[in-house]
Amino acid sequence: MAELLLEFDGPEDLAQAARLLVREGYAELEAYTPYSTEEVREALPPRRSWIPYLVLAGGLCGAGLAYFLQWYLVAYLYPLDVGGRPPHMPLAFVPITFEMGILGASFAAFFGVLWAGRLVRPWHPVFEAAGFDSVSIDKFWLAVSSTDEPGEREALERVAQTVGARRSSFVPREVPR
Amino acid sequence: MSVAEPLLFSASDAELHEKISSTTWRPRSWGYRAALLASGLGTLWLAFCVSYTVARGIGLWGNEIPVAWAFGIINFVWWIGIGHAGTFISAILYLFEQPWRASINRFSEAMTLFAVMQAALFPLLHLGRPWFGYWLFPYPSTMQVWPQVKSALPWDAAAISTYGTVSLLFWYLGLLPDLAAVRDSAPERWRRRVYGIFALGWRGDERTWVHYRSAYLLLAGLATPLVLSVHSIVSSDFAIGLTPGWHSLIFPPYFVAGAIYSGFAMVLTLMIPVRKLFSLEKLVTVRHLDNCAKLLLTTGLMVSYGYLVEYFLAWYTTDPTERYQFFVARPSGPNSLFWYFMLLGNVVVPHLFWFKQVRTNFWVLFVLSLVINLGMWSERFVIIVLSLQREYVTSAWGDYRPTWVDLSILGGTMCFFLFLFLLFLRFVPFIAASELKELRRELQHTPQLPNAEGNAHG
Repeated sequence: MAELLLEFDGPEDLAQAARLLVREGYAELEAYTPYSTEEVREALPPRRSWIPYLVLAGGLCGAGLAYFLQWYLVAYLYPLDVGGRPPHMPLAFVPITFEMGILGASFAAFFGVLWAGRLVRPWHPVFEAAGFDSVSIDKFWLAVSSTDEPGEREALERVAQTVGARRSSFVPREVPR
Repeated sequence: MSVAEPLLFSASDAELHEKISSTTWRPRSWGYRAALLASGLGTLWLAFCVSYTVARGIGLWGNEIPVAWAFGIINFVWWIGIGHAGTFISAILYLFEQPWRASINRFSEAMTLFAVMQAALFPLLHLGRPWFGYWLFPYPSTMQVWPQVKSALPWDAAAISTYGTVSLLFWYLGLLPDLAAVRDSAPERWRRRVYGIFALGWRGDERTWVHYRSAYLLLAGLATPLVLSVHSIVSSDFAIGLTPGWHSLIFPPYFVAGAIYSGFAMVLTLMIPVRKLFSLEKLVTVRHLDNCAKLLLTTGLMVSYGYLVEYFLAWYTTDPTERYQFFVARPSGPNSLFWYFMLLGNVVVPHLFWFKQVRTNFWVLFVLSLVINLGMWSERFVIIVLSLQREYVTSAWGDYRPTWVDLSILGGTMCFFLFLFLLFLRFVPFIAASELKELRRELQHTPQLPNAEGNAHG
């Protein structure tokens, strides 16, 4: 498996090229951009983030664990009678439950992005493309997947020449997890 | 303003990037080095005073009965309050879609992190035996003695540690695209490698962006109630106590307003010299300072309202100790000087921000921001020291004087804060470049906004 990386000046050029490639039957596209833009989002197949569900789960876990721990410690394991107040007092547990809920949700959001973006790996095949440095500064890159069948790459290159990329190069493609 | 964000609209993405990221590799000026050296020496002095306190005990501080809580908690509340503006700018203004926040949010978030670090030092030292600090957390103890989670102090520990952690995550997530930009453009190979490690392999693929945007928005949404909860919980440390001057329901909102007020003052204190030092006048514009001053006016008025309610309630209770505390002890008791500083900084100064000439004059703003910092520190001094000096039983009345160790630790944390901040300016792209590029694109592609002029002001 390989993919062809094409460099563009702006998101409009990239979006136009993406639409053209889709028409030619190349559906497996990915964009690499310095910032997120509507044009790129609309040109690629629609995606929805599952991060909100993860954040909800993280928040509920954090809050639930915190409430349980508070109850377990001061109402069950070591109840302390202060002026006849009940050992299990939900109101007094609210602040820590809330804080731990936020903490759990935030951890879920942060590590969710790292997981979703397959981050925490200093090297990736796309970094081998010549001039890929510009991706974090001002250039927009489009990646088109190609199979290893004979003639496939050449066919893709011929199509790519028509989309007006600044430069292009093939890099090996990782088999998706 | 005739030209709002001129650089934002005249420069290309590459120029914008160069301007922002090159602060991490351009050689430093002598002014910067001198400031780093001075604050570094101050930090060493702090380390000495902290070691001295740990070795000899907190008897070195001025705390005595009746004022057993003094600098240890005044400085804690002051620093935590300063931290609030960072999250306010990065989270609350993000949710309200205030585009002007983009060039100062990174900077203010860093300020938050460093302020929280200073704040955390004080309760830890105030424990007297900081090596037992872990007792605040429910670790599996063989003695089976657990923290009393029905008290406000463990709430505080939970709130502060959550606040510090969430601020760090939010800050770092926003930093990833810019760290990648330094990785891809730094002139030296070793620098690219180091930033490459911290960028965690950021590639900017659309798949990551989709999740990133979602997570960033959610973190902003989570940080918003968090920032409001933290100082509310801090205020409950006092409001739960029966001390005259503390036992009031106005405390949570009034503490939050004060925190944001002092935080914006600190943003101005830091931002005005930094924009000069790094010649960023075109990125951090008059409008940013103007907006910060307007927020100072708003929150300053809220703080003034808090004072008014406090005094009204003290009178309305008909309780002699409450009335004595507010109407006699504060204006004329020992250490009452700080009560006047408090009124100056928090009640009088905000009204100067009604005037545009004041809001747009940097040197006036800088000086006023220092006065506000002093005023907010004095407020905490008044609440803590003046209240404890005059409680119910006249035979238990007392006085308070800080020692040189107290003053050194306070000054030392300021140096340590500045030291960390200078290192941050040196090693981290301190303006969110990718956010600015995106913002510019959005502004340019919105038809009713041919340029930034007249757009969402404040």
